Amino acid sequence: MRTAILLGVWTCATALAQQTVAPSPEQVGPPRGSDLGGYNITNSFELGYRFLTQGGDLGLYRSQVNYGDGLRLLSGSLGVYSREGHGGPFDALVIRTAGIGNDPYQFSSLHLEKNNLYTYDLVWRLNDYFNPALAVANGQHFLNTERRLQDHDFTLRLTKNVKLLAGYSRNSQEGAALSTVQMFDDAGDEFPLFQNVRRLDNEYRLGADATLFGARLNVMHGWVNFSDTTPQSLVLPGQGGNPVDPVTLSQLQRTEPYHGSSPYWRINLHKEAKAWVVGARYTYASSRRGFFFSESAAGASSPGAPATRQTLVTGRGSRPVSAGDLNVALFPMSRLTITNQTSFYNMRMSGDNSYLEVDNATSAVSLLNFQLLGIRTIANTTDLTYRAAAWASLYAGYQYSTRRIQSIESALFSSTLASIQGLQNNHVNAGLVGIRLQPIRPLTIRLDAEVDRASRPVFPLSGRNYHSLGGRIQFKTRSLLLAASARTKYDTNSVSASEHSSRARSYGLDASWTPRPWLAFDASYAKLHLDTVSGIAYFASDAFIQGDRSIYISNIHSGNLMARFGLGQRADLFIGYSRVQDAGDGRPAALVSGEGGSTLPVFLAAQTFPLTFESPLARFSLKLHQNVRWNAGYQFYHYTEVFQPLKYQAHTGYTSLLWSF
Amino acid sequence: MDAKSALLLLGLLALGSPAFTQTQPPGYVGGETCRRCHPNIWVDFFKNPHYKSVASGKAPPERTGCEGCHGPGGKHVEAMGGKAAIVAFSELKPAEAIDRCLACHSKDLGKANIRRSSHTLASVACTQCHSIHRSPANRFLLAKVQREVCYGCHAPVRAEFSMPFKHRVNEGFMECTDCHNPHGAWAPSWRMGLRPRMVDQARPNEEPCLRCHTDKRGPFVFEHASVRIEGCETCHRPHGSTNARLLTRPAVFTVCLECHNGAGDFGRRGAGIVTQTPSHNMADPKFRTCTLCHVRIHGSNADQYFLR
Repeated sequence: MRTAILLGVWTCATALAQQTVAPSPEQVGPPRGSDLGGYNITNSFELGYRFLTQGGDLGLYRSQVNYGDGLRLLSGSLGVYSREGHGGPFDALVIRTAGIGNDPYQFSSLHLEKNNLYTYDLVWRLNDYFNPALAVANGQHFLNTERRLQDHDFTLRLTKNVKLLAGYSRNSQEGAALSTVQMFDDAGDEFPLFQNVRRLDNEYRLGADATLFGARLNVMHGWVNFSDTTPQSLVLPGQGGNPVDPVTLSQLQRTEPYHGSSPYWRINLHKEAKAWVVGARYTYASSRRGFFFSESAAGASSPGAPATRQTLVTGRGSRPVSAGDLNVALFPMSRLTITNQTSFYNMRMSGDNSYLEVDNATSAVSLLNFQLLGIRTIANTTDLTYRAAAWASLYAGYQYSTRRIQSIESALFSSTLASIQGLQNNHVNAGLVGIRLQPIRPLTIRLDAEVDRASRPVFPLSGRNYHSLGGRIQFKTRSLLLAASARTKYDTNSVSASEHSSRARSYGLDASWTPRPWLAFDASYAKLHLDTVSGIAYFASDAFIQGDRSIYISNIHSGNLMARFGLGQRADLFIGYSRVQDAGDGRPAALVSGEGGSTLPVFLAAQTFPLTFESPLARFSLKLHQNVRWNAGYQFYHYTEVFQPLKYQAHTGYTSLLWSF
Repeated sequence: MDAKSALLLLGLLALGSPAFTQTQPPGYVGGETCRRCHPNIWVDFFKNPHYKSVASGKAPPERTGCEGCHGPGGKHVEAMGGKAAIVAFSELKPAEAIDRCLACHSKDLGKANIRRSSHTLASVACTQCHSIHRSPANRFLLAKVQREVCYGCHAPVRAEFSMPFKHRVNEGFMECTDCHNPHGAWAPSWRMGLRPRMVDQARPNEEPCLRCHTDKRGPFVFEHASVRIEGCETCHRPHGSTNARLLTRPAVFTVCLECHNGAGDFGRRGAGIVTQTPSHNMADPKFRTCTLCHVRIHGSNADQYFLR
């Protein structure tokens, strides 16, 4: 289904809230297409040139925007439909493309269909991904990879009630990456490691869909094969990231390929009658992977003594998962709908490895590891919707869920078995209630509330005492939309030695107005507020600090303004502006000492992170001929952080011809 | 007599013709009659997915063509038009509109949870997202480009996708339905509670993030338990973030330390999530970028501390 839905991705709607200046959404050519034989054909292609002038941090720009220079097939669209629904080999052929050439985000799709016989859908996507890993590893990690995704789905209708389903998906990631390796002990230095990323994931699907005795049965069997054969090598022999650290690495060879498979079954059943609907699903997936890790390193250890180390790890991991759901919907009266879902999920991840390490200081270390993580969740949810009147309906729901987490962490070392077993049970009771009012036709009001109570959350950041309140009011007519929404989410998860409290509030305002067919305005504003406080414990200069707090405060204001003007029958002008500003907590500079809930200055500096990201854009489109439009657009990107020197600005734009023939 | 009235009269004449009354059950007039007064809708209807049943000619009148959705049009024709004498979706209550669409679409695999979806509970009818006759989208008859349909109600989500770090939805590389099922999803297998309610599952039962980020899927010998137990949202904001790598915090050490604080009876063993060892001196900048050493933070085959 996802593949099929994706075919609707790229359409030439006059989307006002467009965030990227190209491709151009304006139409060209006869709107109803041309007739040829028994078919009707509509097509258009936009060929253009993108330009870029960029200043500031290039890595940051590439990680956030990444549009570059060059010639592009900015968009393409072809639709061929049989006029009577009785075409030859097909009744519908739809092709869509975007960004083909060298855009960082490329998309194409093909839909082919013969009524009541077959359907074939293809979606292909490419993402040129660059990430300098600023927050996670001081820029010592980055990725410059291309990810290609493709999905094929074929449906063959054998009879009125039986269909065959087949599919294939491929996901590959390739390119350069930088990682780090830490040598030779816990306090040792880290060294940059080059990776030529090669990851591949293939999925094959085969199934059937049948209607039997009024019930629909869908069975799907899939096979997933995945592998990672990324070779790694030391970037530069010598010192690591910390010049004062005496550890050096003169040689390193590492290989760690893995291969695995994940066959699965999925069975769906659906049956309905006038007063009830029953749906059920069962899935089973069995994932397995085998791996091999080999590493040899030579250099100097922290005292500056020569060090060599060889590490060999082999093993495998497996994770069988079964999950099932049973849905029942009842309609005891026309105003009332009751639904119930019972779900179970059972996962048992286990893995073992044989770890052998030999170095010149401590001779051989041999370990056998075994790990098990089992999760079993059972949940039952009941929802009730009551339509009290034409202008009012209300709903309520309750869920009880229970989860059991079992774990075994074992290591066999020199004939000594160390094993730690754990068992956690957690129960969640959750309820929600909501109301929808429509006092007059254009006006809709929705209010809802949710409360969750967990008996024993597994992590400090997990929900324990959660509640949410939200509402939305909308006034909508044919040419005007006004909407406002608000939501608060509170969670506290406090225990004796620590605490976690999170408050999130969001507010949204939307307005769109189309007074004339040639004139349209769209504006939106959202404020996203988050403040959290969490207990932390850490070591600083050999002292164990407890009772400290990590605070994070974010106040994000986000706005979009867009306007479209039709200039006569020939030209269109589109202008827009979007801005995201995290105002932090209002402090003018990062705290380095003083009040702030934490004793270490670095935690004070990480409490809030004000920044601004803005992007004005404009596009002009001129109809040169019934079948040709000329387009030109400009978009400016500006990013700046208040407490950090990181910033960039980029002037991007394009000019193109949109041609229909 | 104006042109519209003349066309209506033609329709009435057709209704009374012997040929017509022989083929249509009582109350039904057939699509050809509708076409006379609604030519703008008919002229492109062959591109509409609903045209299939018209083309086949085998479906009964109540399940094909205009009257398959709008009900018998006899009274509408007799009244010379008007919404009162026919099923007009603009006049229906949300539940009625949903019921009419589900009369044919309820068996679709992707709509198995539509009766309990958040949209249905909140009385969001099909026609609020789909435009059957004026869809600019070639597939699925969406009223607008998909993201605009979703942003129309979810303004904070639109704001999240405007953030500097985000999944590429606005750029056209992804769509909301890559991760969400707007018609309702099965219970999430990766966490507890009522949320998330509309997040679809990748493959048979996995969090949708793993559909693309396949290298995080495992199975690993040493799983970072939080990934499996509470999902990727423990550390990441999936839509967009002001923090690099969609992290929940601007500095990675706070992400880690807020869980690894040794407090309470948290964790798999109920003894708290382990704290750092004394060799980790947070006063030293090196130890504040945790993933500099713990490079396999999502899971490792070789090392229980995710060092390699």
